[in-house]
Amino acid sequence: MGSEPSELPEPAPSPGPRRRSFLRGMASGVAGGVVAGGVAGAAGGYAYRGSRPAPSAAAAAEDEAVVQGRLPAVPFHGRYQAGILPPPQRVTAVVSFTATAADRAELTELFQTVTDRARFLAAGGTPPPTGIGGPPSDSGVLGPTVVPDGLTVTFGVGSTLFDDRYGLGARVPAHLAPMRSFPNDDLDPAQCGGDLVLQLSAGNTDTVLHALRDIAKNTRGGMQANWRIDGFSSPARPAGTVPRNLLGFMDGISNPSTASAAQMDSLVWIQPGAAGEPSWTAGGSYFVVRLIRMFVEFWDRVDVFEQETMIGRRRDTGFPLDADGIYATPDYTLDPTGDVIPLTAHIRLANPRTPQTAASRILRRAYNYDRGLDQVGDLDMGLVFTCFQQDIRQQFEAVQTRLVNEPLVDYISPFGGGYFLALPGVADANDYFGRALLA
Amino acid sequence: MRTTRLLAGAAALAAAMTACGAGGGQPSNVITVSSNACGGSWHLAGPGWHTFEISNQSTGGGEIDLIDPADGAVYGEIENIGPATTASMSLDVGSGKYAFLCLFEDFNPLTGPTVTVGGHAKGTPAILPVTYNDVIPLAKKYQSYTEAGLQLLARETGTLAADVRGGDLAAAKRYWLTAHLQYESLGAAYDAFGTFDDEIDGRADAVGVDSPKWTGFYRLEYGLWHGQSAKELTPVASTLNSDVRALLASWPAQQIPLIDIGLRAHEILENALEFQLTGHDDYGSGTTLATTMANITGTRVLLSLLHPLLAPRYPGLPAVYTSLDRLQALLQQEHLPNGAWVPVAGLPAAVHAAIDAACDQAVQELAPIASIAEPRNSINGF
Repeated sequence: MGSEPSELPEPAPSPGPRRRSFLRGMASGVAGGVVAGGVAGAAGGYAYRGSRPAPSAAAAAEDEAVVQGRLPAVPFHGRYQAGILPPPQRVTAVVSFTATAADRAELTELFQTVTDRARFLAAGGTPPPTGIGGPPSDSGVLGPTVVPDGLTVTFGVGSTLFDDRYGLGARVPAHLAPMRSFPNDDLDPAQCGGDLVLQLSAGNTDTVLHALRDIAKNTRGGMQANWRIDGFSSPARPAGTVPRNLLGFMDGISNPSTASAAQMDSLVWIQPGAAGEPSWTAGGSYFVVRLIRMFVEFWDRVDVFEQETMIGRRRDTGFPLDADGIYATPDYTLDPTGDVIPLTAHIRLANPRTPQTAASRILRRAYNYDRGLDQVGDLDMGLVFTCFQQDIRQQFEAVQTRLVNEPLVDYISPFGGGYFLALPGVADANDYFGRALLA
Repeated sequence: MRTTRLLAGAAALAAAMTACGAGGGQPSNVITVSSNACGGSWHLAGPGWHTFEISNQSTGGGEIDLIDPADGAVYGEIENIGPATTASMSLDVGSGKYAFLCLFEDFNPLTGPTVTVGGHAKGTPAILPVTYNDVIPLAKKYQSYTEAGLQLLARETGTLAADVRGGDLAAAKRYWLTAHLQYESLGAAYDAFGTFDDEIDGRADAVGVDSPKWTGFYRLEYGLWHGQSAKELTPVASTLNSDVRALLASWPAQQIPLIDIGLRAHEILENALEFQLTGHDDYGSGTTLATTMANITGTRVLLSLLHPLLAPRYPGLPAVYTSLDRLQALLQQEHLPNGAWVPVAGLPAAVHAAIDAACDQAVQELAPIASIAEPRNSINGF
């Protein structure tokens, strides 16, 4: 991986857009670092993914840290949950749970336990020995000392948690509802919804699985997993570009800038005093998960021109079809009839780049998944689409509604997921997830 | 969740401690042991996190414990350290007295020098070891409880065989459940009865449902609930009855390994989780929730025997009972007024999740008992 930059030739974009994209990429890279707590190593770490700088010592160190499982700890405490803004990590698991706590007190205990475990796992450390008092307190999967490996734990609640079981009905967030089915969806109820959701992301699979086992064993009785999907994000290939999805296209190029507090405040974070929102939601963010099968073998039988017109970007370079530069902004005013980027192209429908649609932008965080084979031996792989926003209807659903019947639907099939609210962050050592909700 | 939360707190504390240590380095002590010297002179710098590297310089294997020499309570244990090998033991040392106890085969137990840590620091608590003498009477009681249970079982399988022979398959179905639950309540899971268990309660997994090698309760269940005739099932029921009687006859000569008393505390329900709550062992009657209930009975028998040993040693014991009560109450809701049981396949997802979670919680709470109730050699005897 470290030798890639020198071996794989960079595409040769025109100087203008390239320069723009470079600057934008740097901005989002810095954002990753700031979210990660301003740790210098982490800041350098995420920078190369969303930008096209010359391969740097920091990027090489990041690669080495990923390979060695030594990504620094992402600070757990803060106003917002730490796993929302950073670019996708190498490995993720999204697990939905049914709350089985008997009452509000047990639910509170559950949230406190999840908080305690997440706090420990994110920081790392040595698990306590149990002597002759029982089996070991830790699975040992990460060795005798738990390494942080960049682990983030994102905890969210679904609308069903606000039914009559825990007396939370009056506190339901304004925009939280069961995930709706869109035309072309083929939802499996067994892989939809959930009272609670956890997303665990880190540099390596063992780190994620260790965290999942630790949290599961410590929350037995309080919640029971009902569906799960594991995802990964690929290295950017060529280096300095943007990671690709399993259709072979770069994914998540057009995102609001996580470096811009103003953009995050207007698009991602639920603001204090937001209309209709109970006060406990401030600092949270609506979290949409969509599990999308990709019929990759069918896709691979489609010629590249057709693929590119469905997406609206070049497969090799990630450039929009009307410009040179990954981050170049397509100018649809010059192409009103879709001669260059068809009106039905994915990127054009998803983000028409108009003032009217600017407020529907989402913070997109997609991972790839691979689940082996389907019943007839075709490859079961696709996308764990996740996104964060202030208002699911005005943002994700608006985007998804524009995408209904796009040409791409023949090659994909959404089959699961759910709508959740990622809770506000845990402020400090005395705070816990959902304290204001459960108080 | 009460105990696990304590655990979580301890973990966080430990994390904080190690995080504060300069460069993450931990004080390390090399402790040399052999059949005639247990630790030599050693010291503790003070309370806090310590890792001991135990080096066995004898020519045989042994067990090394770190104990409170006042009462023999154990802080940490290396159950088996081979000759000329090293093993590590980590401990959060608090104020108190510490000594190594060396238990080498063919040698008398040897207690090394005592090291005292002053002050009022809290560390990993020591647990008073359970001895062989503690467990032997329990094993005897358990043996006679099981023998009485097998006698009842033999009467039931006798009636069951007669019902099948007489062609009353409706009665046979009722009696099948009575007898099977009796068997399952004996804590029969997990090979307690060795090869008898394969004959009496074996699954079709390895041989297939059509194999003549498949015998026992599940074979009979499969036949009764799949329309097989009384004639076809008569030899099946008769073999079951004779296998139960053979087990009963052999029972007085069977020795229950002492370690099993504690091990089974969680193993019975581990099996219920794997085979009953998943519906794996439903061969047609839809009664795996009833089987789970019988398994709880078997677990409770062990707990009642072990209770006096556990109460002073296991702070999580009340949570064990709470979790079993909850599981039992949830299962009872699936026991219909007409006596039938809801099959797991027919459970609404939320109910299934609640039962699964309660059983998961119960095995999690039960698990430490295996370690705590394991009989150990100690300075207090055997």
